[in-house]
Amino acid sequence: MDNRITEHPILGIQEKGEPVEFTFDGKPVKGYEGEPIAAALKAEGVMVHRYTQKEHKPRGIFCAIGRCTDCVMVVDGVPNIRTCITPLKRGMDVRTQYGVSDRKFEEQ
Amino acid sequence: MNRVDLIIVGAGPSGLSAAIEASRRGLEVIVFDENEKPGGQLFKQIHKFFGSKEHRAKVRGFNIGKQLLEEADEAGVRVILNATVIGLYQDKEVVVRIGDEVVHYKADAVIIATGAAENMVTFPGWTLPGVIGAGAAQTMMNLHGIKPGKRVLMLGSGNVGLVVSFQLLQSGCEVVALVDAAPRVGGYGVHAAKVARTGVPFYLSHTIVEAEGEDHVTAVTIAEVDERFQFVPGSEKRFEVDTICLAVGLSPMSQLLKMAGAEMEDNPKRGGQVPICDNHGRTSLPGIFVAGDVSGIEEASSAMIEGRMAGIAAAEYLGYTDAETMQSDLEQLENALDGLRQGMFAPKNRGKLIEKTEEGIDISLNLLEKGYVSDDEIERYPGVTHRKGVHPVIECTQNIPCNPCQDACPKKCISIGKDITSLPIVVDDCDCINCGMCVASCSGQAIFLVDEDCGDGTATVTLPYEFLPLPEEGAVGNALGRDGQVVCKAEVVSVKTAKAFDKTYLLTMRVPKEYAMKARFFKS
Repeated sequence: MDNRITEHPILGIQEKGEPVEFTFDGKPVKGYEGEPIAAALKAEGVMVHRYTQKEHKPRGIFCAIGRCTDCVMVVDGVPNIRTCITPLKRGMDVRTQYGVSDRKFEEQ
Repeated sequence: MNRVDLIIVGAGPSGLSAAIEASRRGLEVIVFDENEKPGGQLFKQIHKFFGSKEHRAKVRGFNIGKQLLEEADEAGVRVILNATVIGLYQDKEVVVRIGDEVVHYKADAVIIATGAAENMVTFPGWTLPGVIGAGAAQTMMNLHGIKPGKRVLMLGSGNVGLVVSFQLLQSGCEVVALVDAAPRVGGYGVHAAKVARTGVPFYLSHTIVEAEGEDHVTAVTIAEVDERFQFVPGSEKRFEVDTICLAVGLSPMSQLLKMAGAEMEDNPKRGGQVPICDNHGRTSLPGIFVAGDVSGIEEASSAMIEGRMAGIAAAEYLGYTDAETMQSDLEQLENALDGLRQGMFAPKNRGKLIEKTEEGIDISLNLLEKGYVSDDEIERYPGVTHRKGVHPVIECTQNIPCNPCQDACPKKCISIGKDITSLPIVVDDCDCINCGMCVASCSGQAIFLVDEDCGDGTATVTLPYEFLPLPEEGAVGNALGRDGQVVCKAEVVSVKTAKAFDKTYLLTMRVPKEYAMKARFFKS
């Protein structure tokens, strides 16, 4: 995906951590260590982070500073992790959250 | 229970400034911040700031942030990050969640510098992924190097909406429209003008009807609103977008103060629920102070001054400085703050329609309604003059507290005078040497160097340029007018950079001479 800014007129080329692999819903994806999980997902074009418990409506990044909780996902088996402020680590298991689970509603 | 002299909540511009002043006066200070890094929103601000030298004008926000962190380091300020203050109780007991632990602290004085949170508006589809806060867009692109979207619609024409729209363009995103339900642009005219001249259309008196999309935003419909904010039937316009950015104001995050029992007021001029406080941040609770946006929405420049004041006032409260010394220390800061609170965007003028400048010149209505000054309006401003040879054309048309252009010119061709909000003028005996310092120094990107007649039927226009890729010398493209529409063909004569320009490139283009006062942007 071309969502990463390769060179910025004011900020130049941004320093990033080590390139690392992690998984999104079981599929291998790439990101940079230390950047927010949400940033790495956005770079890959992922828009939906979770579906709401009652109405099963999609939610994604909204405030990007850890305030609104729209972007929470299941990370390494723990639900409700605010992906916009949680740093990415090598090998993380990141999953779409359905209600408060990583299992789709029909499987719950 | 951990005890310190002073606890500051928030390591943004005001909190850090307060910590610096208090530490220098001998207080033991701890600053808590819920974020991973200190600096608050300063590190997302990549534009040059307004003001004068004492306010660090023409320095980009993130560089001011770096200076502030260095200053805090030197003063020995202790900042604890990833630490969310969840309670402020009687006798200044502060409860902090650090990681999975809840820790109790007690201080003799507390400064609340929690800043503000973004407001939101609702419309059908507003919860779809792709509808984001303008702050989220800033965070993604300026901190993490990620484009918030490819095609973006911005709602809100205040300074946040305008500045973030420009930043989106700088990041390589397309801004399809800038929309505001208000009938007039809310932010600085110069911020609007630099967005409009790139071709972004402004829709004032318009708002969002609905956002479309299944799993994420794919389109948005806007419509005109009447004076009672009701949709005008038949005025709908639809844009295919993947992102909608909301920049609809900020609200003070004053919950801790309310919790502690400080006297509060609902003050629309300050942005909502704010603690009642004096000029130096003293609340109704002895020993509890406030600084920055939490006590009224302003800018980072004023937040830093307010922070310093609160830090000094807290030092005096605890006996680390005497009242007389405090008074003289505060005086200089009061003057600096007063300077920033002048002009037509001053807090006291919020919500007022100002029709004339301090000089008695009519304000451009086009600027307020469409985001740019029209060709027939621009001639009325004192910075716009006609001369032989290269000379500055200063399209600064509103009284804002800013004066770096006056100091930038080595030949003293530009004058603002002692009143920082006055419109700049080009002096009569202007001896311009075409150095470009004025163009690069103008935080509003409103100064151009124009040679109206090069003698061969052409004119040259030098403009500030902050986009990539840089056009090459000799490249031929279109010159755009202030309204962002193509006015003529243009050839790039030169693209200059210098350390003193601080990343603002000076692009000089050649146009037919009849377009010298119309061509204001280059698009290849």
